Amino acid sequence: MAARRTRGMTGSDLSRATVARATAIAELLRYECSILLELYRKKESFTADVTVTESRLVSVPPPSSQLETRDKLWCLHSALLQCRSFLERAIAKEEEQLGGGKKGDYETQRKMVKERLTILLINTGELLKTAGGVMVLTPSSEGLELDGPTILFELKLWIYRIFEEVDYWTKTAITTLQALPSVIAKERARTTRVRSMRSARR
Amino acid sequence: MVLVKGIMMIPWLLLVSLFGKSTQDGNGQESGVLHCGAQNLKLTGSDQMILLTWEDTPSCSAVQDVLIYELEVLIADKKEHYDEVAVAPDQIGSTHSWNWTSYLALECASHSVRLRSRYKNHTSQWKQETRPGHETSKAQVYPKDKLFQVGSTATFCCVLPAGEVFGKMSLPEYSSADMNTTRISNQTYALTVHLNQASKYSCTDVKCELIPDVVYGACAYIGYPPNVMDLQCETRDLQSVDCYWTDKDSSLPSKNITEYHLLGSPKICAKWPETRCSQEVRVDARVRNWTLTASNPLGEVKLSDTADLTERVHMFPPEGVTVLSVNARNVSLDWKWTVQQYYNLSLICQVNIINHGENTISEHFGVGLNFAVLNDLIPNWTYNVGIRCRTAQHFWKWSSWSTNVNFHTKGDVPDALDVWMQVMDNQIITIWKMPLANQSHGHIEDYEVTWTKTTQRERQNRTKVAPNNYSLVLSLDTTVGHIVTVTARNINGSSSPSTITIPSSNPDGTKVNTSSIIGSNGSFNLSWSASPTASCGYIVDWCPTLGNCTVEWLKVPPNQTNASIFSKNFKDGLRYTLSVYACTRGAPVLLQRREGYVREKKIQDSLFKSVKGQQQDWDYEVSWEPISLREQTAFIQGYVLYCLDNNNNKVINFSTDNPEATSLTARNLKNGSYIFTVKARTAVGECGATSITATLNLLTDNLIGTVFIFLAAVFGLLSLITIVCYRHWTCIKETVYPPIPKPVLTSTGEHGCRHFQVDQCHYSEADITDVPELYCRAGAPINGFVSQENMPFVFSQTPKGYYNQPLKKFTPPPLTLPSTAIPSQPGLPSSPFRREFPNASYNLIMQPGNQQSNFCPELQEATSLERSSDGYQPHDHTETFTTNQTEEDPDSPMSCVSTYILLPQSSSR
Repeated sequence: MAARRTRGMTGSDLSRATVARATAIAELLRYECSILLELYRKKESFTADVTVTESRLVSVPPPSSQLETRDKLWCLHSALLQCRSFLERAIAKEEEQLGGGKKGDYETQRKMVKERLTILLINTGELLKTAGGVMVLTPSSEGLELDGPTILFELKLWIYRIFEEVDYWTKTAITTLQALPSVIAKERARTTRVRSMRSARR
Repeated sequence: MVLVKGIMMIPWLLLVSLFGKSTQDGNGQESGVLHCGAQNLKLTGSDQMILLTWEDTPSCSAVQDVLIYELEVLIADKKEHYDEVAVAPDQIGSTHSWNWTSYLALECASHSVRLRSRYKNHTSQWKQETRPGHETSKAQVYPKDKLFQVGSTATFCCVLPAGEVFGKMSLPEYSSADMNTTRISNQTYALTVHLNQASKYSCTDVKCELIPDVVYGACAYIGYPPNVMDLQCETRDLQSVDCYWTDKDSSLPSKNITEYHLLGSPKICAKWPETRCSQEVRVDARVRNWTLTASNPLGEVKLSDTADLTERVHMFPPEGVTVLSVNARNVSLDWKWTVQQYYNLSLICQVNIINHGENTISEHFGVGLNFAVLNDLIPNWTYNVGIRCRTAQHFWKWSSWSTNVNFHTKGDVPDALDVWMQVMDNQIITIWKMPLANQSHGHIEDYEVTWTKTTQRERQNRTKVAPNNYSLVLSLDTTVGHIVTVTARNINGSSSPSTITIPSSNPDGTKVNTSSIIGSNGSFNLSWSASPTASCGYIVDWCPTLGNCTVEWLKVPPNQTNASIFSKNFKDGLRYTLSVYACTRGAPVLLQRREGYVREKKIQDSLFKSVKGQQQDWDYEVSWEPISLREQTAFIQGYVLYCLDNNNNKVINFSTDNPEATSLTARNLKNGSYIFTVKARTAVGECGATSITATLNLLTDNLIGTVFIFLAAVFGLLSLITIVCYRHWTCIKETVYPPIPKPVLTSTGEHGCRHFQVDQCHYSEADITDVPELYCRAGAPINGFVSQENMPFVFSQTPKGYYNQPLKKFTPPPLTLPSTAIPSQPGLPSSPFRREFPNASYNLIMQPGNQQSNFCPELQEATSLERSSDGYQPHDHTETFTTNQTEEDPDSPMSCVSTYILLPQSSSR
């Protein structure tokens, strides 16, 4: 039954289903991110309004309504890829510099966020592929400042910034993905119209 | 010539030089300023320590005594410390150094050192060297990532760039009482804190918050130096030393974790959290110190254990334990040692025999012991064994247990059965306990029972019993003793016989009294007096007092006179009979009998059957049937009767302590309705409540009884009077109604004979329509008016007074007045009923013609008076026979009072 349904789907249907799934995953990630931030704030006795004065870590132009769907997805996917790189580095640095070998709620939540982000990336990757985009990370991993500070307190702030970055881009992903179905529909309509016009000309 | 001049100049030069030196000395001390001083000052430092190096000026070479250097430290241009350095004459000319640890990180503020020399109260000029603080474009907290020991005091500073506004400095989870913030300079603040808490997660943040809310900070590791304790060293293989100890978490990061070194070796033996390590040594019989060094950035600790390792052999467990030979009741095991030296040691080994969850340990000794024989095993039984060993001479530790091995022993004949008896009527029940798995030693095929009379042992009866039966009922002559023997048989053969002597039932035998017993914790604790006859111990048997009894028993050794009786069949609230027998060479002898409950239960309500009530005057007796034992789930100690007055809900109770009682009386009750509730008193409370309701109405009943008695008495009296009157009627009649003299008729004609009547009834004159024909006969007495019911007069009391009972019908019989004269009876008292009529010799004959024309005294319906006077009739009228004696003329033939003589009147009237 499921196989038959899959066979019967069009490319747009597949996109719509993937968009819905990606949105759901992003919403879940958003929730898990908020818990992670809360746990981290509690662990490090940071107040909620602690200001991180640095600029954004992820260097991707924010998705704009002016951009094409493919470009929007590319920006989003690229940003999420950078987020994952930062997150992986943050976890490694934290374990190396600050890890006490204890595994608690925070460590579990951190791992969960990382895995959820990976799943979201798979879905946005599928969407990007469907939209005809190229999955190239810009800037490349080598270009990212992944080392982080060596001073412990600054390292902690850096980790916090990365978590906030993941949170920010997850919110952005939700907004972008929620806007996608209508865009897809419009584009499909436009494509159909162009085709019919071409047919009429012939 | 030149040489000569030169030689001549030397003394002059020396003199000049000496002069010059003396002048110089004199200059240096002239103004109190010493020319000897420091030069080439260099101030360096790291973290919080500053290091100053300097050299003496050349002029110091002339100083012959100790030269003092005075040092002053200024932090942010504020004098913080003073120190002196003494330089011995032989050190003058060398480079000197001095260090000092600031309470602040050097980055926090500028640290300056001023230096001058002092010699014999003369000092040189100050020379100063400064190390500036760290200047940054953004706020910083110092020191960063530094390690601190718990319990120390540390100072952190927050350096702000120009224009930033300081908010506060803090450490999370530290109270303000432990912290003190001070201002060092315009843009530098310090926080001094007593570090009394180890870092929980990695490091502790020291935060500097600016206004508005921007946080900067540093991390501080707050932990402990090593705290090694309980070092113990031993050898396991007799070729190396193994040491172990305890230490607590230093709370330091992994790169600063505590390291352990053994015997001063530079090689790291272990890192925390490992707390044991091993190092190869030559193990010989001598006492040595075994030293452990523990170190981390916060400190180093050395700990030693003194021991001869040959006395501290902690063996490895035996390897390759094998079961060599398995028999029914013994087995042999062997094993190997992984350390060859063990074969030379005198060893003790323990074999742990695990038998269905029960552990038994057997010990075995020997040099290089590597085998053991286990005896007293249960045939046809599975065992699990493990082995551990130690050196026999110097006990240090047991080895850990070897890997366990299993084996199953061979089968054997069953164990002797546990046999008991039960005598019921003419039946002897021989009963035995089902052999447990560890007693049967194989599958039981059957049981064989033989019996014989004690008097005729040569004649044996024999029968076989199926393996799933554990008793045999024999109908034997119980007046004769019997000997019963039971054996069990399995594939390996028959068990040794178990014999029991059944005593003869002797009706004259001694009986024992039965006493009560109450169990505790689900069992009976029974004790008895020792009996000299109990040569082979005692037997306690028990079964429910009522109902089908499957006896259970327990055999007690002779030296024991108490037993705790427990059975999984025990039920609460069920009465059991327990008997103690002495086991003798012959039949068992009953010593004691007890009855009781393992745990008493409340008796259910409605215990009492056929509850009846009986009122006795003001008392009320409630009775019931004797309570059967079956319904007693607890010992009844007495009864309580509760009387609940329905009117005022007052409860009165009456009780008895007699458990055999079948009634209770509530006394001195009052009229009213009562609920009588009778309950049994037991150790678990009052229970078995049964109620009846009764109403007591003593006053009404008495009154009714009294009225009935009174009425019966009146009736009896009247009956007696009636009988007497009847029997003496003639006499009475003659007395009361003497013969009425014949009236003298003075005229004839229509009205020649006047009819008269003594009016006994009252009727309306209108009712009289005919004048009856009157026949007069002299001497005939007037017969009394008698109703058809022969009731002359009936009086009854009415609420309104007295009136005559109306006579419904009155048919006068023909009156025949006999002419017989009634003699006068002067002796009788004067009475209206005994009126004498001297000339009453005439017959008055009334012959009715037509019934309608009958003369009164018939009252046809006799309703006129009733209607006219509403039943009321004046009392005077009842005095029917009252005559006016005062007007009586004894000479006149008859005198009639007109009131009482009703003359015939015309109906036309």
